[in-house]
Parts: sequence; C-alpha cells; structure tokens
Amino acid sequence: MSATLVVKDLTVSYGESKVLFNISVTVDACEVVACVGRNGAGKTTLLKTIAGFLKPISGTVTSNDVSLLGRASYDVARMGIKYVPQDKKVFSDLTVRENLELGSYATQDYDWQKLTTYFPKLKTLMGRKAGYLSGGERQMLMIGRAILGNPKLLLVDEPTEGLAPSIVAQLKEVFRELSRKTALVIVEQNLPLVCAIAEKVYAIKDGRIVAELTDKAAITPPMCERYL
Amino acid sequence: MIDAQLLISAVIFGLSIGSIFFLMAIGLSLCFGLMRIISLDQMLYYSLGAYITYSVSLVTGSIALGVLGGMIVAAIASFAVERLIFLRIYDRDIAFTMITSFGVLIGGVGVIKHFWGLVPRPVMVPITSQLSIVGTDVPVYRLLLIAIALLVYGGLWLFLNRTIIGKAIRAGIESVEHVEGLGINVYRLFTLTFIIAGTLSGLAGGLYAPLIMVEPQMGLEVLAFVFMVVIIGGLGSIKGTLVSAFLVGQIVSLGSLVYAPLAQMAPFAVMLLILLIKPTGLYGTAFLKR
Amino acid sequence: MLNSLKWWWGILLAFSLLAMLRLFAPLPFVNEVLLFSIYTIGCNFLLGRVGFISFGQPAYLAVGAYAAGFYLYYFGTNPYLAILLGVLAGVIVSLMVGPLFVRLRSDYFALVNLALTVIIFYLMQKVLAGVTKGDNGLWFLANIASTPLLDISRPDQFFIFALLVAIAVWGFYKYLDDTLYGACCLASKLNEDKLQFLGYSNFRIRLLAFAIANTTTALAGAMYAIYLGLVSPEIASPARAADPVVVTILGGTGTLYGPLVGALAYTGMKDVISKLIGNWELFIGFLLVFIMLAGEKGIWGTLEPRLTKALFRERNGGSGSKPGISR
Repeated sequence: MSATLVVKDLTVSYGESKVLFNISVTVDACEVVACVGRNGAGKTTLLKTIAGFLKPISGTVTSNDVSLLGRASYDVARMGIKYVPQDKKVFSDLTVRENLELGSYATQDYDWQKLTTYFPKLKTLMGRKAGYLSGGERQMLMIGRAILGNPKLLLVDEPTEGLAPSIVAQLKEVFRELSRKTALVIVEQNLPLVCAIAEKVYAIKDGRIVAELTDKAAITPPMCERYL
Repeated sequence: MIDAQLLISAVIFGLSIGSIFFLMAIGLSLCFGLMRIISLDQMLYYSLGAYITYSVSLVTGSIALGVLGGMIVAAIASFAVERLIFLRIYDRDIAFTMITSFGVLIGGVGVIKHFWGLVPRPVMVPITSQLSIVGTDVPVYRLLLIAIALLVYGGLWLFLNRTIIGKAIRAGIESVEHVEGLGINVYRLFTLTFIIAGTLSGLAGGLYAPLIMVEPQMGLEVLAFVFMVVIIGGLGSIKGTLVSAFLVGQIVSLGSLVYAPLAQMAPFAVMLLILLIKPTGLYGTAFLKR
Repeated sequence: MLNSLKWWWGILLAFSLLAMLRLFAPLPFVNEVLLFSIYTIGCNFLLGRVGFISFGQPAYLAVGAYAAGFYLYYFGTNPYLAILLGVLAGVIVSLMVGPLFVRLRSDYFALVNLALTVIIFYLMQKVLAGVTKGDNGLWFLANIASTPLLDISRPDQFFIFALLVAIAVWGFYKYLDDTLYGACCLASKLNEDKLQFLGYSNFRIRLLAFAIANTTTALAGAMYAIYLGLVSPEIASPARAADPVVVTILGGTGTLYGPLVGALAYTGMKDVISKLIGNWELFIGFLLVFIMLAGEKGIWGTLEPRLTKALFRERNGGSGSKPGISR
C-alpha cells in the first residue's frame, strides 16, 4: 500500500534565501508523526509547502502516489489533506456554527456528530461569534472544522502553543482518537506531548532533518533534545 | 435662513445622489475587501451601464429594459476583465493592480468613444411625476433611486449573512488563505464578487443616465467622488460604504445650497479631515501594511 | 565623485542626444519632451524609489505654475524670479500637506493627492476666479522681460535653459541615489518595518521624498508657465492626473532615465497616434495594461539591464552589470 505522504528531497526558499534543504519525510496511513525543532527551523514552511501554500524549488510531494505539487491549496485540501495553521485564526465575524458550515460546505460532510464527540464544548458554543472564543476553544473549532470530510492526513501546526494544560491534555486524547482513522503530522515544541503519542519523530534543525526516530522506546524528550 | 421646502428638496436630492454613489462604491469596496485590489475599472462598467441603457431605450423605448441591458453588459464585461486580467495579477501589490485597472478604465473609455462617439447622449427620464412630501414637490424618480439603493443594500446583506456563498465571501474578507485551506475554490468566489460589483456599477450607470450627461469621460469625472466615498467609509466595509455614500451625497447637495462651487470641493475637504483623525476611514480597518 | 566625468557621462550623453534631436524635430516638440520629463521625474522618484503612487501630480504642477504666473501677471517681469517663486510654492505646499499624506496607505495616498488636484482645480477655476481669471487664465507673455545671456522668453533660448535645468535635476537625482538617503528611500519601500528597527524614521524619509518630488514637479509647472506665457486651470485638470504615472511606467519605474525615455515616447506617440487613430484613450489604455501584464518594466526598464551588461562586460570581465540604479 502506498504511503499517505511521501516527501522527497524537498527544497524551499523564501525569495533568495533557502529555508528547507533536501527534506525527506514519510507518513504511513493512520501514523502519528511529529516534527520537532526550534523556532525558525522550517517546520511551518514544510507543512505549508505540503499543503500547497508555498512552492518548492525542487523535490517531490506525493500522497498515495499522486503528486501534490503544482496544485492549489484548496485542491490539496479536497484530496483529504487538511492544514491546521499555527495562528489559531478562525472567522471571527461568523458564528461557530457558520464556521463549521463552511467546512461542511467544502467537504459535503454534514455529520457533526464526530465533532461533538471529540469536542462536546462546541455544542454549547454554536451560536457564539468565533471572535469571542478563547484560545483553546478556537483550537477545538479549527481541528473540528478540519476533520470534516474525514481527511486522510492532518497537518497540525503547534496546536498546544499558548493553551492551558487541561486543554493540552484534552487535545492529547483527541489526537490519539483521531489517529485511528487519520494520519497526523504534528509540529510541536511541546516535547512531552509529542513523545506520548508520536510513533515517529523527525527533528529539524536549520532547515534540515537531523534525526528520524522510529523506535517508540527511544522517543523521549531528552532524546529529542539531543538533536536540537 | 434657508427655505424649509428648499431644504427638504435638497435632502432628498442628496439621498438620491448618495444612492448612486453607494451602488458604484460598493463594487470597489467588495473587491478590495475580498481580493485586495482597487478596481478602478468599476467606473467603466458604470459608463457601459449608462450607454447600453441609452442604446436599448432608443430601440425599445423602455428605460427599464435599458437598465437591465446595461447590467447584463456590465456583468459580461466585468467577467471578461476578471478572467483575462485580474486573474493573473491577484498576488501583486495593490499599487500594481490599481494602475492596471486604471489602464482598463482608460482603454474602455476609448472603446466607448469608438462606438458612440464624443457627443453626449441624452436619456429620457422614465418617470416625470412628482410626489408631495411635507409640502414639497419631489421627483418620484429620485425617490425610486433611494428605494433601489436600500433594496440592494438589503439584498446584499441577506446574501452575505444568510447564504453559504455569502458567508464564504465574508470569511474570505477576513482571510483568503484560511478559506482555501478548508477546500473552497476561492477563485470562483473572486469571480462571483467581481461580477456582482460590475453589475451593481452598471445598475448605477443605467439609473443615473437620465439625470446626467452620458458622455465618454463620465467614468473619469466621477472616479474621484466614488473613490472618496469608499475611503471615507473605509475600504472593505459594506455598512461604511452606505453611510459615507449618503453622507457625501448630503454634503454635495446641501453644500450647493450654501455655495455652489464649494459643493464640489467640500467632500474632498471632509475626506482629508476624516483621514487626519482616522487614517483608515470611518469603518475601515488597517488590513494592509503600506 | 561629483567632479569626475565618469559620474556625469550618462547624463551628459543622454542630454547630448536630446540636444541633437533638436536638429531633427520641431522646437515645440523637444521643449515639450524636456518639460514633461522634468514633470515626470518627481512621480518616477515617488513611485519607483519610495513606493508611493500619486494620481495627483497636476496639483503640484499647478502650484508652481500659478505661483510663477501670479508673480508675472501682477508683480514683476523677471522669469527667473518667477521660477524661483514657483519652486518655493512647491516646497511650502508639500510641507503643508505632506505630514498628513505620507502617513497614509499607498492606495489612500494616491487618492488624497487626486483630491488635492480636484480642490486646486476648482479653486483656480471658480472659487478664486477673481484673481485667477478662471478658465480664461492669466496671460503674461508680454510681461516676461528679456533676460541677459539667455533670453528665456524666446523658445529657442528657453530650450537651452530647459536643457541646463534638466541636466541639473538629473544630476541631483542621481546624486540622491548614491547617498545614504537614497538607499533609505528604497529600503522604506521594500521593508518599512526592518528600516524602523534599524532606527530610521520612515515618516521623515517619506516626507522629505514627498517634498523633493513635488518641488521638482512645481519647478516643471513654473517652467511651463514661462514657456507658454499663460496659466489656466487646465493645468490642474484631474483628467490629466494619470499622465505622469503612465509616462513613468512607460519609461520604466525607478530608473534614472525612464522619465526621459517615457516622455519622449509618450509625446512622440501622442502626435503620431492622434493623426492615425484619433482615439488616444483606447491606445494608452491598452498600452498601459499591456506593459503591466508584460512585466511592468517599461521601455528603459527593459533596455537598461541589457545595455549595461553589454557595455560593461569587457570592463568587468563578465562579472555582471554595474551596481544597479534601477530596479
């Protein structure tokens, strides 16, 4: 069976300066993969390129043997690869319900049952304008919106940044549940979370992959630290 | 002391001008809000609306048909321009698109000159009756303009707040990238918005045609005013555009009661004043860096 | 640096070529080209170096023209003094409106300048018609005294004067490019945040640039007034507001010689096109769109990199073109 995501020798630059050098990453179906690295290492750039928001100079990105390069970002999303950005931005002027409606409209998936199973709080927030949500609630909304359409891969960018520990714990469980049906690539600085749920860890430093940890036992915070 | 009748007359007059300004400015405002482009070529669709109204009404004798024809032609023209030109330049900076749209406007003026010549074309007023309001005789046609503008505002509001496409557009005004990330084809939204803008500009031209001189430069003459309405209201805000359109209409109308030549200048002075206090306009937000 | 011939050679070459044009083309044509290019270089500087697009250059043209015109109509006869007054007026107006204008976003900026043009137009045409004689304009050709050495009341001698002024203006702008200030302008256009973090005041840089550019435009206006011997509200007509922008882009935004090339092409085309097609707007509109879609570099903008590469290849041993003035 072909892998859900294969990135090979990806090189990306912002204008004249190169940011990613020959990145190669593999994600199998329903696998939880983590990308760790310091600020500016290039993690967000990697996710954005996969999602179709940035164009690489060279390299390939395929999903189940279908190339993602050259496609518009909404095309990539339609293929079942959803990007959850770092900025925790939801459509402030729209209500939570309307935010979800947009997600449903795009994917034609109107089954919100699964969302409320993962995030029961959303049910009570339906009528509220998204601009008034807290950071944690926004994150829930973003992920909830992204899982409509049952994507095969979720690219999540620093989900726990700035969130309270209780919400982080909740997210950990949600990711665990999600990984039963969806592959996850999580970019994180929160090493304990990542090491608890990831089956594979890529360490990125200065735009290059410096380590690939596949042995579950070896994935511990100190181990990751070593490579950063 | 200004005569009360004259005042009422001037206020209605101002509201009717404001209605036309609104219909024209809303196109500019929407296009900026969603696509971050300054679409000066909206003035071209305004002119086309007026000219088609003239030609069609000449043949059929009906202004209503003329306005409808004007809207259709404006829609087609804006669709063509969006697909051929703007599609290629959405990612460029705002000054670039402004200059390009200006080129389209100028070229369009040339096209109009080619087909209709330089001589101003008169369009007859379809309704010449008057209504008595608080003792003053007011032209019904002007009241019709106000009614249409309010209807359009209401229609737009319903569209943006009650339909899923409208909500997608509102979401896009906040962040195009996030809408894309959901899997929605934003370029179709752009085209739709552009066509709506062009059609409304065409409507404005058709409705205004009986009241003004329909001549090739009409789009250029009104450009400064429309742009100013949008700036005072704040680019990207629908409510702001309505408020400032009526405001500018009143300034021009009441201003001409006081001192005629000043009336043309006053709105610009007001704009400068507003920009001094709030550099993004009354309702605008600082969406962009310079 | 300024003293070396090497620094001046480009400017001297360009204007020698223009002077030679005098032999082939009618005098009004070359005068028009010279004046128009001085008019445009201010807009070119604003757009290409500082990143401001202004649809309101006629405002400053009018300021310079009317200042010179008022003096010559009501007070005196010395054309040089008139020009000086025009320049002064340009400085004053720029510094009056500048502090508000340069704070605005680029699209708002374009518009407020257009607004200023409309205001000045109506001021001159209607409101102050008492002193400006409205649409009839102020006629003062007879008032201009003959000046010693170079009698600029005569078109052929005016040409020489204009040529000298142009050389001086170009020298000034080239010098500006070479200074730290010039670099600051460009930096302000490209990344105002970074510049701010470096400790520079974007506002001050832009205000100065605004004043420089519009004073140059006022200079052109004053010279137009002398050349035509009259000034009328027509000079502030909003309909002509886009002319400098079009010429700037046509020639090549941000290049030193763009305004010259653009003015030459534009004035030349105007005559030819008007005779052939007669539909000026159609032509200029499509041309503008074409240029923008084709890469917005303009005539000189496309030619210059190639020329410098070809000319300097031997000298530098193929290490590339000389440090760019243009972008």
